[in-house]
Amino acid sequence: MNATATAVVSARDVTRRYGEGDAAVDALRGVTLDIVPGQFAAVMGPSGSGKSTLMHILAGLDKPTTGVVEIAGTDITNLSDSRLTLLRRHQVGFIFQFFNLLPMLTAEENILLPLRLAGETVDRTWANEIIDQVGLSDRRKHRPSELSGGQQQRVAIARALASRPAVLFADEPTGNLDSTTSGEILNLLRTMVTTHGQTMVMVTHDANAAAMADRVLFLADGEIVRDQGRSEASEVLAAMAEVSAL
Amino acid sequence: MMQVAIRGLWGRKLRTVLTALSIVLGTAMITGTFILRDQINNAFSDIFHESNKGIDVVLSKKTAFTSDNGTTAGPLPEAVIATAKSADGVDKVEGQIQATGSIVIDGKYVTGSGGAPNLVFSYVTEPFSNSQFISGGPPTDNTVAINQKLANDEHLQTGDRVKLATDTGVVPVTISGVFKLAGVSSIGGATLVVPTFHNAQQWYDRVGKTSVVYLSAQQGVSPAELKQNVEAVVSNDVKVQTGLENADQQTNDVEGATSFLTYILLAFAGAAVFVGLFIIFNTYSITVAQRMREFAMLRTLGASRRQVMRSVLLEAALMGLVASLIGIGFGILLAIGLNALFKAVGVDLPTAALTIPIVWSVLLPLGVGLGAALVASVAPAVKATRVPPIAALREGFTLPRGVLAPYIPYIGIAGAVLGVGVIAFAIRAGGGGSRVLLTMAAGAIIAFLGMSMLSQLLIVPIAGALGAVLEVVLRVSRFLGLIRDRIPVLGPLVRRVAYGLTLGYVWVGIITALVLLSILRGGLSTGSVIGAAVVLAIGGILFSVLWRRRLREWPWDASSPTAGVLARENTSRNPNRTAVTSAALMIGVALIVFVAVFVNGFKESFLGAIDRSITSDMIIQGQSFQTIPAPVVNAAAKVPGVATASGIQFADAKIGNGGIDTVNGVDPTTFSNVYRFDWLKGGSDELLRNLTPDEALIEEQFAKSHDLSPGETFNVTSIDGNKLHLTVHGEYKDPSLMTGFIIPSSTLNTFSPGSKDPQIVLVSFDQGPAGAQAERSIRQALNSFPAAKVQTNAEYKKDAENFVNGLLQFLYVLLAMCLIISLIGIVNTLALSVFERTREIGMLRAVGMTRRQLRRVIRYESTITAIIGGILGIAVGLVFGWIVAQGLSDQGLVFVVPYSQLVGFLIVATLFGILAAILPARRAAKLNVLEALQYE
Ligand SMILES: Nc1ncnc2c1ncn2[C@@H]1O[C@H](COP(=O)(O)OP(=O)(O)OP(=O)(O)O)[C@@H](O)[C@H]1O
Ligand SMILES: [Mg+2]
Repeated sequence: MNATATAVVSARDVTRRYGEGDAAVDALRGVTLDIVPGQFAAVMGPSGSGKSTLMHILAGLDKPTTGVVEIAGTDITNLSDSRLTLLRRHQVGFIFQFFNLLPMLTAEENILLPLRLAGETVDRTWANEIIDQVGLSDRRKHRPSELSGGQQQRVAIARALASRPAVLFADEPTGNLDSTTSGEILNLLRTMVTTHGQTMVMVTHDANAAAMADRVLFLADGEIVRDQGRSEASEVLAAMAEVSAL
Repeated sequence: MMQVAIRGLWGRKLRTVLTALSIVLGTAMITGTFILRDQINNAFSDIFHESNKGIDVVLSKKTAFTSDNGTTAGPLPEAVIATAKSADGVDKVEGQIQATGSIVIDGKYVTGSGGAPNLVFSYVTEPFSNSQFISGGPPTDNTVAINQKLANDEHLQTGDRVKLATDTGVVPVTISGVFKLAGVSSIGGATLVVPTFHNAQQWYDRVGKTSVVYLSAQQGVSPAELKQNVEAVVSNDVKVQTGLENADQQTNDVEGATSFLTYILLAFAGAAVFVGLFIIFNTYSITVAQRMREFAMLRTLGASRRQVMRSVLLEAALMGLVASLIGIGFGILLAIGLNALFKAVGVDLPTAALTIPIVWSVLLPLGVGLGAALVASVAPAVKATRVPPIAALREGFTLPRGVLAPYIPYIGIAGAVLGVGVIAFAIRAGGGGSRVLLTMAAGAIIAFLGMSMLSQLLIVPIAGALGAVLEVVLRVSRFLGLIRDRIPVLGPLVRRVAYGLTLGYVWVGIITALVLLSILRGGLSTGSVIGAAVVLAIGGILFSVLWRRRLREWPWDASSPTAGVLARENTSRNPNRTAVTSAALMIGVALIVFVAVFVNGFKESFLGAIDRSITSDMIIQGQSFQTIPAPVVNAAAKVPGVATASGIQFADAKIGNGGIDTVNGVDPTTFSNVYRFDWLKGGSDELLRNLTPDEALIEEQFAKSHDLSPGETFNVTSIDGNKLHLTVHGEYKDPSLMTGFIIPSSTLNTFSPGSKDPQIVLVSFDQGPAGAQAERSIRQALNSFPAAKVQTNAEYKKDAENFVNGLLQFLYVLLAMCLIISLIGIVNTLALSVFERTREIGMLRAVGMTRRQLRRVIRYESTITAIIGGILGIAVGLVFGWIVAQGLSDQGLVFVVPYSQLVGFLIVATLFGILAAILPARRAAKLNVLEALQYE
């Protein structure tokens, strides 16, 4: 067939409606989209445009009201909660704005958590490699409370990568960090895409972050209004201004 | 602030309900107990006053003291009747014989229900009679009237010919009539047989005697005047009472007996409330921690510390108030229910109107409930005041630890040691009065509080150890899972059976019930374990077949040891919380273990003493713990093949001017043939054989407490007021069976004539063939004395054991209340923790934790908490039991560790943990991943 066959994540005419009747909100109004392997896509748009909603649906955390979503070739719209969970466990990685680490586990334990949940034997070399790459080799045994925000986000990145997911989703991963740390984290994400061919979808408000991506999608009022390739930060800003004015 | 408090309660319904439940249960028990007490006492008071209505004056034998063990004074001489008649102002006089005995049907002695006595009261005419015949009429020679309940239970009617067990053997009688007594069919389940005065004298060895004498006054003479007139003519060993005084005294006697039960029930209600304190404390501590933002907001809006504190206390007080009111309501229902239950099991109490004693069953529980809520929430309320306004602005603000916090474990150690010391001291002080018991209770409370503080230190290591065990189990099961997956054919079947075997709360419930049942029946036996295994296996297979559909779509995710690690970490991350939660369970388990140790120790020492001391082949005891007619001893001795039959009589006697102790009457010539004494100070059986009527053998404890040694003398007074001057002839040790001192039974018969019947008769057989036949012969020979229960030693011990087990069951059932409250506590803490960790749960679910895994984490967490409670409870219970056993070792109490029961308790604790997790786990699993992730 077409791109769908090769896409890691694909959405067809996806809508999402919250609530019913007069109070209903259409957060997504028919989004069609394919993310191909190895692609780093950034999603931008004004507040309330539906970025988070889209990401949640693409990641299998939420279900569309209408339309079809496939992750790694599996149609998720009719999956039971357990199957969906297993799919997430093996195919999807997450990075959250608030790092969402378990306070009572060490950095390393947090990183290995998804593997352990799957009951899989941990691939030591791979684990060490990502821990090295995120620069936490000397922080393995520390608890989250003993780590800085940037370090905590690195733990979250390593955790998301540990299970070699088909696609990694990040919702404003730098939203809670200062600009220097943000830069470091974005570079790290870019490296993962470049060196490991990691597919990634990142929601962001930061033009500099979007400039790191291979593709920038603009959302307004629940629809994709622009879809452009690799862009400079200034181009992104200009596009944003245009979109907001719509 | 009131509004904040009400909203607070309403906004947290589940936790409010769970927290309130502990108060509801405790207060319900208090209310119920007092209503029941009043109802029973009023009922008896009504009966006694009703039955004394036509009686102006009662004569009976004067008693020198009151006995707690049922020692009664002997009868009056019949001549008193004539003497009394000669007093001024007497209208009618009549004597009455009062004895024990019952109808015999098909050779079986009919006992009262619920251990109630079998009474024989001779007939008295109007105006003294208190019976209303519903068929037939008063007894004539060789006929008897019986009470309605006895007639109904045994399907007897007027005119039926039956047999009556008497002191002189079984006599055939005809039923002359069936009656109600003061309006009821039976008094508290007792049977009552009414012969004529003359028959009763003959049958119950009272010829020329009368137990009591009733008098009525002539017109115009008041009972008080009549009493004076009678006192002037009778001798001074006769007690003269008006009918009213007699009724009051009878009522008092019964109240004395029921107050014991009242105290036991109140003690358990107290324990329930005490356990509730921990739950309230924990809930409010957690709530305060979770509401920090809110308090900080209130502070920034200008609320003072005092207002913050008041809002927490107000909320607690409101909860306590409502909970106690509900508890009082339940208590009233409980009393009504229990009353119906008593009726159903045949303890027929007259229906006195349900009165609610306001002070005891409303105000007291209200105060207790309110007080408990306030006391337990003071510390959390103080903590709330320490939240600074800045906390409203900062994410993840945690309160600095209090100044005292680092010392709490040490305070705990001090408390535990102090509490244990107080208990030891109380026991050493001796006695057994309520002062000692209250001191012990105070010691236990201090020790429990101390343990709960100290246990913070123990949580992490114990949780670590349990977590390690859990991890091993999970690794093994994962390994098995891998193997299973390699065998594709077996896979689905094994999976299903395994699921049926290991999962499903139905099974947890069934296993809990099985274990509880076997504990109630005296511990885990191999039989019950095998039985449980079989039930499980069959059930597992059935279950797997029934649940096939569900299982097909159910993804079998490998049991990951991570669930164990997370559970362990969750219990350890807040050791205070886990400590307090498990402390609630610890208390219940500790009390149960203590009771088990104590009662089993008592049983062991009693059974051990029987083994050591009784050398006879058979033991005869009375029905329903009544005495055995004295002629049984001779009847048994005459049976061919019987070498010796020798009885033991017990009576209370006053020693010197002081305390009351037991006097044992035995036949010096025969008793040492059936009983092995542990002689002290170089004594031998010879001492017993040449015991003269004014000599006594004394028990070691008696010797100690009265500072007596052989050759010295002491004075004793019987309940009839008879005095003896006794010389100590020897000393022996026997703290379980023959405490006090021993005198020849011939001496006892005149000294305390009300105790002439033996409590126990020991029978030994001849060597040789006649002896082998003796067991059969003696059972046959004693057919004429159905009031005597003839048993082999083994049967007797089994009887004793059953009695003790019955007692244990009763106590376990009451203590189960504490366990249920602590179960609620675990549920509550878990639910609060789940709520607190909403976002964390969202993250776990997002990164691939299945609902089942999540439920499992919570279940393990709950189980670890419960097992910690179980382990600590067992440890504390054993320590308490050991101290008490040490303190009472000179009274023969041995320290026994009931291992199989302890294992059972631990299993129950584990299962409780699993059960407690059901609701919280379900809640957690139901959380929507997205909403949980966005939860603040
Ligand atoms: N659970 C919900 N219930 C009702 N409406 C919702 C819900 N979640 C989102 N919405 C609405 O859907 C729309 C899209 O929300 P979404 O969170 O996807 O926006 P966003 O682009 O991520 O915004 P932001 O940049 O502020 O994070 C908004 O109008 C929002 O109010
Ligand atoms: Mg968003």
